[in-house]
Amino acid sequence: MNIGQVLFYVMAFVVLASALFVAGSKNLVRSIFMFFITLFGLAGLYVLALADFVAVTQIVIYVGGVLVLILFAFMLSGRETLNILQQQKSKFISLNKLPAILFAALFFVVMVNVLIKTGAGNLPWIKQAVATNAAIGPNDITVNNIGINLMTRYLLPFEAISILLMMALVGAAHLARKERGAV
Amino acid sequence: MNFYSTYFIIAIGLFAFVAVFTLFGVYAERKLSAFIQDRLGPTEVGKYGMLQTLADIMKLIQKELIIPAAADKVLFLMAPVIIFVAVYLGFAALPWAPGLVPAKINIGLYYILAIISIETLGILMAGWGSNNKYAILGAMRSAAQIISYEIPAGFALIAVVMIAQTLDLQEIALQQGILSTEKIKFLGFFDVSANGGILAWNIFRAPHLIIAFVIYFIASLAESNRAPFDIPEAESELVAGFHTEFTGLQFALVFLAEYAMMFLVSMIGVILFLGAWNTPLPNIGAIHLADWTTNTAWGIFWIAAKTLALIAVQMWIRWTLPRLRVDQLMNLCWKVLTPLAFLCMLISGVWRLWLM
Repeated sequence: MNIGQVLFYVMAFVVLASALFVAGSKNLVRSIFMFFITLFGLAGLYVLALADFVAVTQIVIYVGGVLVLILFAFMLSGRETLNILQQQKSKFISLNKLPAILFAALFFVVMVNVLIKTGAGNLPWIKQAVATNAAIGPNDITVNNIGINLMTRYLLPFEAISILLMMALVGAAHLARKERGAV
Repeated sequence: MNFYSTYFIIAIGLFAFVAVFTLFGVYAERKLSAFIQDRLGPTEVGKYGMLQTLADIMKLIQKELIIPAAADKVLFLMAPVIIFVAVYLGFAALPWAPGLVPAKINIGLYYILAIISIETLGILMAGWGSNNKYAILGAMRSAAQIISYEIPAGFALIAVVMIAQTLDLQEIALQQGILSTEKIKFLGFFDVSANGGILAWNIFRAPHLIIAFVIYFIASLAESNRAPFDIPEAESELVAGFHTEFTGLQFALVFLAEYAMMFLVSMIGVILFLGAWNTPLPNIGAIHLADWTTNTAWGIFWIAAKTLALIAVQMWIRWTLPRLRVDQLMNLCWKVLTPLAFLCMLISGVWRLWLM
């Protein structure tokens, strides 16, 4: 095993273990902070896949934005609500969890099926890219490529997303606004 | 194995630098504040009180680590570490001299912006973990402030990136002096590629970047929680804000993070706007001042001198201006700085298309 593989397995273990903790922990705040480790490990996996821009974007958006907002909402809500949330039935195995387990198991089957059917080891387009030397190496700059593609090939989805975000912003501003006349 | 040991040496060297800088930064701040307020400052320990901060840190190391009974132990212990590590990781991408950069990352600037935003998480962790109302109020204020001020700071930086056309900090540094491979125009008209010096700095390459620099500087004060934006630790209302409960080494780490953050944001400002490691002295006719003062040693000297000067300005502002109220703070950010930063970005685009 070379160092890349070792790093991959370490990172994958960190991601999986912390994700399990997030899902299983009774303490909500700790599970939010554990989620931070999951996201960080995912960013590491992206770096190993040579997607450095995606990795950094992951940290900016999820850690710097989403996670901080979740914490904000959490800290603004009262302690009583949180206590009720934390005092749910604590049996590890119970009938209530059956649908969730079924769903997760079925989803797992689908995922494994997809992985086997595609044969990720020898996809034709990857082989072609390697053969024609078009594959991205560790020292290539990917940002320029992303920028050009966003402004040409993927312009319509890009603009559609910006309109969606704009609508969300306008909606948020409308909701947060004071009624006219009300103090 | 040699390859990896260099990395460790660089990492330890950077940490040592941050620690030494903090020691003397605190001393400088105390002397400077004393001068501004017409006092003497530390005078007892060592010549001119120079060993005062060393004595302080010895005291902090010896103190007992007190964990409040109601605190969330894990979060409480982890928080200062995360706050410091987030800032410390940012140092990895900063260039010090021509060819001298700890990690050459082609999206260096973006990486630093991402890493800095983790500090917010550490502060929220400290606030929640302490289980103290002052701490949590301070943490909330701090998070709100940092998230808001990231926007004008980010757009001011994007204005520079649009002119420089790269996110690699070493590349941006190279473009602002005589080593540049592309043409540099002073104010967009006079070709100064051969002269270099102060004329080639980004703020003079495109004059609207002076405004961008001021926006960035104000926002960077807010991001490092320094006065006049220090409501997160406003001692008159919140005791000490998010680090109320910390003692000993943990308090030292929070302090280390604050000074490291000051250095980091100042150095980013210097790299992007004030010519990075390039000399301020231009080539004039037969006197090749810029050629003589551009090499590795001079590079480290120039960037350190410029960064320290900027930090001195930060301290000067801290001890001169009163604290902003929270609504004034948000008004300044959203109604003044953000629109101005957008305008700078727009001008940058036009500038790049028509004048360069």
